[in-house]
Amino acid sequence: MKRLLGVVTAVGLVAGLVMAFGIAPREATQGNVQRIMYLHVPSVWVAYLAFAVVLVASVVYLVRRAEAADRLAHASAEVGVLFTGLTIATGSIWGKPTWGTWWTWDARLTTVSILFVMYLGYLLLRGMIDDRERGARFAAVLGIVAAFNIPLVHFSVYWWRTLHQPPSLMKPGPSTMPGVIVAALLVNFAAFTLLYVYFVTRRARVLRLEAEAEA
Amino acid sequence: MTADNWSFVFAAYGLAVVVLVTYWRFLVRRERELSEGDTLRRHGSGMPEPQTEHRSP
Repeated sequence: MKRLLGVVTAVGLVAGLVMAFGIAPREATQGNVQRIMYLHVPSVWVAYLAFAVVLVASVVYLVRRAEAADRLAHASAEVGVLFTGLTIATGSIWGKPTWGTWWTWDARLTTVSILFVMYLGYLLLRGMIDDRERGARFAAVLGIVAAFNIPLVHFSVYWWRTLHQPPSLMKPGPSTMPGVIVAALLVNFAAFTLLYVYFVTRRARVLRLEAEAEA
Repeated sequence: MTADNWSFVFAAYGLAVVVLVTYWRFLVRRERELSEGDTLRRHGSGMPEPQTEHRSP
C-alpha cells in the first residue's frame, strides 16, 4: 500500500511537471517565471490542508485521548511547516522578478510568516516537554488556536491593501484563468495532495515506531 | 516582451526538489532504523516476530 501510494504520488508529480512546463502556455504578462505558480499555489494548499488536519486531529485527541490522533496532528504539522516554508521561499523567488523585491511586509506575506512561526513553535513545544501525554495535550491546544490564523492568511488579500494578488482559484465563483492553466494547476493540486498523504502516512508510522521504541 | 527569468524558475523548482527529497530520505532512513531496532528488540526479548497471515491457495 505504502509503495503503491509512493508510485502514484511520483506519477502525479511527473504529470504536474509535464503540465507546468509542457502543456501550460507561457503567460503573456509575466513570461515563463509565472510557471512558479504551479509549485507555489499547490504548496500553500497543502499547508492549509495540513493545518486543518492538525485542528481536527487535535480536537479528536482532546476528546478521546487517542494516540493515533496525536500522531496524525504531529505528522501533519511537520509536513505543513515544510510546505509553508516552501511557499514562502518560492513566493520570494517569484516576487523578485515580478515585484522587484525578495520580501515586503505585505499583509499576505506577514500573515503566512506568522502561520509558519506558530507551527514551528508547535513542533518546538512538542520537543520541549518530556512527558508525552502532557506534551500532546499542550500541542493539541496550540494546534487548535493556531488554526485561527488560516482564514486570516487566506482573506488577508481582501481585508488589507496588499501587493499580493487575490486568489485566482481558491475563491467562490468561476476562475478567470484560461482552462489549460486551471487544468495544470489542478493536476499539481492533486499531485501535492498525494504527496501530503504519503509524507504524513510515513511520518505517522515513524512516530509510532519511536513511541514503541521508547516504551 | 517580458524577460523570462528562467533562472528564478529553476531556482524555485530546484529548491523544492532538494527540500522534498531530503525530507523523504529522512523519513525512509528513520523508518528503516526504527524497524531494525524493533526487530533486534524482539530477538533480544524472545518476543515472536510479527507474522503475516499465510493462506493456502
